[in-house]
Amino acid sequence: MKNNILVIGGGPAGLEASAVLSRMGYNVILAEKEKRLGGHLAKWDRLFPDQTPAKEVLDGLLDGIKDVKCFTETDVNSINLLDRSFNAMLSNGITILADAVLLASGFDMFKAEKKEEYGYGIYDGVMTNADMEQVFREGKTFSPAPKAIGFVHCVGSRDEKAGNPACSKVCCATAVKQAIETKELYPEANVYCFYMDLRMFGRHYEDLYLRAQKAGIRFIRGRVSEVAETSEGRLLVKAEDTLSSRPVKVTLDRLVLMAGMRPSEAGHKVGRQLNLSVEEDGFFSSRDGFLSLQKSKLPGLFYAGACTGPKTLPDTFHEARSAAMEIDRYIKENFRK
Amino acid sequence: MIYLLTSNILQISPEGIIDRYPNSYNHFVLPFVIGISFILVYLFIGLVRILYHLTGEDRIKLLKSLFKPKTAWKNIKDIFCDCLLHTKIWKRKPLLGYMHSAIAFGWFLLIVVGHIEVWLFAPRHLSGLTEGSLYYPIFYRFFIWINPAHETLRGSVFFFIMDFLLLYVLSGIGLAMFKRVRSIALGMRHTTKPSLADRVALYSLWLIFPLRLLAEGFTADLSGGGFLTRPLNWVFRAFFGNELNFLPTWWAYSICLGLFFLAMPFSRYMHILTEPLLILMRNAGLKVRKPRKGFAEAEIYACSSCGLCLDACPMNVQKKNLKYSSVYFIRFLRRHNKRKTREIADKCLMCGKCYALCPVGVNSPAIRRALRETQNNNIKCDYSYLEDASSKSSATLAGKAGGKILYFAGCMSHLTPVIIKSVETILKASGQDYEFMDRNEGICCGRPLMLAGRTEAAQKTIQANSRIIRESGCTTLLVSCPICLKIFKEEYSLNGIEVIHYTQLVDRLIKEGKLKVSKSSSAIVYHDPCELGRGCGIYEEPRNVLSSVAELKKASKERDESICCGYSMGTLTLDEKDKAKIAESSVTSLMAENPDEIVTACPMCYRAIRSKAEVPVKDFAEIVCENIEK
Repeated sequence: MKNNILVIGGGPAGLEASAVLSRMGYNVILAEKEKRLGGHLAKWDRLFPDQTPAKEVLDGLLDGIKDVKCFTETDVNSINLLDRSFNAMLSNGITILADAVLLASGFDMFKAEKKEEYGYGIYDGVMTNADMEQVFREGKTFSPAPKAIGFVHCVGSRDEKAGNPACSKVCCATAVKQAIETKELYPEANVYCFYMDLRMFGRHYEDLYLRAQKAGIRFIRGRVSEVAETSEGRLLVKAEDTLSSRPVKVTLDRLVLMAGMRPSEAGHKVGRQLNLSVEEDGFFSSRDGFLSLQKSKLPGLFYAGACTGPKTLPDTFHEARSAAMEIDRYIKENFRK
Repeated sequence: MIYLLTSNILQISPEGIIDRYPNSYNHFVLPFVIGISFILVYLFIGLVRILYHLTGEDRIKLLKSLFKPKTAWKNIKDIFCDCLLHTKIWKRKPLLGYMHSAIAFGWFLLIVVGHIEVWLFAPRHLSGLTEGSLYYPIFYRFFIWINPAHETLRGSVFFFIMDFLLLYVLSGIGLAMFKRVRSIALGMRHTTKPSLADRVALYSLWLIFPLRLLAEGFTADLSGGGFLTRPLNWVFRAFFGNELNFLPTWWAYSICLGLFFLAMPFSRYMHILTEPLLILMRNAGLKVRKPRKGFAEAEIYACSSCGLCLDACPMNVQKKNLKYSSVYFIRFLRRHNKRKTREIADKCLMCGKCYALCPVGVNSPAIRRALRETQNNNIKCDYSYLEDASSKSSATLAGKAGGKILYFAGCMSHLTPVIIKSVETILKASGQDYEFMDRNEGICCGRPLMLAGRTEAAQKTIQANSRIIRESGCTTLLVSCPICLKIFKEEYSLNGIEVIHYTQLVDRLIKEGKLKVSKSSSAIVYHDPCELGRGCGIYEEPRNVLSSVAELKKASKERDESICCGYSMGTLTLDEKDKAKIAESSVTSLMAENPDEIVTACPMCYRAIRSKAEVPVKDFAEIVCENIEK
């Protein structure tokens, strides 16, 4: 008999783990709350550091889940741990008895309107990194061609007042990538990046940064303090250049906010039913920080991806695969004796 | 036996009242005399000290105020209502009010009526210290013998009144004892921890009146008595059979009084004697200048340590932060504990709720600010650029706003652009002519510096802004931030230019018919910002407007009891987590009647509440804009 494994969340982590588990011979059921599989990846245009189209990666992932039962637009209405197995009731009316559950609920984007001073939702020219990717993906252009565009790093990340003192890991590289792409689209435009410090920690990330500098993108070390609208409807951005210790004021046509990662609300809903513990940052806590990263405190419940904190895509895939191995080991030890 | 010993010097007064003791003296009065003398000397020295530390100008102000009929009348009224009747407590917590007024007013009447009685029946004993005028009226019942055959109606009335008053006080004492055990029954969630001196004074205060009842009960067959003391006397006689045990009771009564007065200066009960002075100084218009001397000292000693501020303080959401409440701040000030007072002063949100709810009216936020000033006023920064900025703005604005509204958005509104956008929409929709004072750049109003105790720096920004405002020629200065409003009203001298908050302007525009709004079906609740409500007394205007654009619900704590949003400019050291907790409690209070939306009229509150509320949060101007009739 094949053991049932329930994967909650159909983003990169859930898809990759489902693919591996299904190759191992398990009966994998995947629940995704949205209409489309792929999570945030499905909404992205190109990926850093080498601008691989997101669609390529997503197609690769979808190829692997041919034998997985996928339920989209499906919430987990209730879930509880019975004697050894989990009993989950899905919003489509199906009840599943699963021997193991993988929680891959990922992250929600930080709501940029919470940083009132940047005027997201108030000024037309202010948008988020996700909005920008959508523009790229749909092949839209801004008209008239913008003369100046700014990218604000760390919006809702490393910001105690916004309730998130942690780094979201991916925004620096995303901002630099988007800045390069913008400059490619509008070579005449001045492109600015307002950063605190650039965290280009991954392989090839630094190359991306050098490319951006060569392309003429201006990096200003300092946070944007406020954004106002000029009488012509452009954006007056005030910031401090902390390298020259002077206040700077620039007038821009577009301002792109690099919204960070926050724990997923849908993931919390599942977590509350199972009494899973979260850490101070709101993300789920693993059983330990080194050897049991994919395990939760509940036997049979595993984590993969950004539900335990911000991660890049490669990290997420590593986690998905190791979670699949942990699940395999757990099933073999507990159900096949 | 006593009669035999003293019969040769009995003095007969017109109504058959006879002094039982030669010179009307007995050793038992000594503890009382020592206590009362100590407290009188202490009071005199304290008064001199406080007056000495006032500035010359303040001293003259105080002296003059005493002779102004209007202030004098207010003084009398305030002393009567606040010190004796405790009307402020009555209004909020009736049972607690009864307790305080029973003890204070009852005791006061006992003393006054007691003196009148002596003045009527044994006037000789009020004539000087040698006649025992210090203690005789207090122990009157001990020293006299009244011939039952000569008892008059007038005398009986006094017996009745005195017994009645004693009963009145005793009922208050009974409640006080009950309050120690179960404070919530009298409407207090938190009470203070009494210090040692507080305990001595407290227990002696509790004992004074029951002992007085006992003592007067023992002597009631000699001195006469009313409906309480006389039956008590019959009971005692039935049990003890003789009068020999009454002297120890009078001793105990006198010792308790003495102990109370000796402990008083070191205990919370000093407020009884200091409050009248505080009222005189406050009504004279004095302000706190130094954190521990002069007027502040009167404030500190007038604190009754009742702990009503513990329930008021927004910090009380976390038990660990209760220590930052005003009552402990004042206590540490009294003890000259510099480290703790500094810590508390810097931590405070300066929301002013403790001051608003204080039954004595101790302005502890002002003392905190004065304390911050001693530390922070010396921080030197270069503000020379302010002059340039001021001249530049003046040059572009000069005369332009002649006869118009000048809108000053301030730093915080600039960080909340939805407010500026909405205010401008309202101004345009109602056809108001206006100039924007700080569209591209502006100078801080100075209030945050002021709150931080950096008075000199604040004065520099005040001067810079005043120049721009005055030279613009405007008639009205419109602000959208209550933090700015407070300092514009209090510290700026603008030659009659009206300073107005946007809630007031919108209210006026609607009343004048210049702005038409329609009512939506949305249920909203209004959060009173500290600086707007308690700070500037503006409660009605925003409510008038909001109830005409939506259905206005109530918060569990509102108006002057509104809970600070936690993100006040006032605190210098409170950390984010504690602020977040306060914001949560503020939101909980606002959500009492499950409104659809929360509305506030301060950019700081707007941001704070938005970070915690689960329903939409809107600015006052924003919701007005949504409901403008086109």
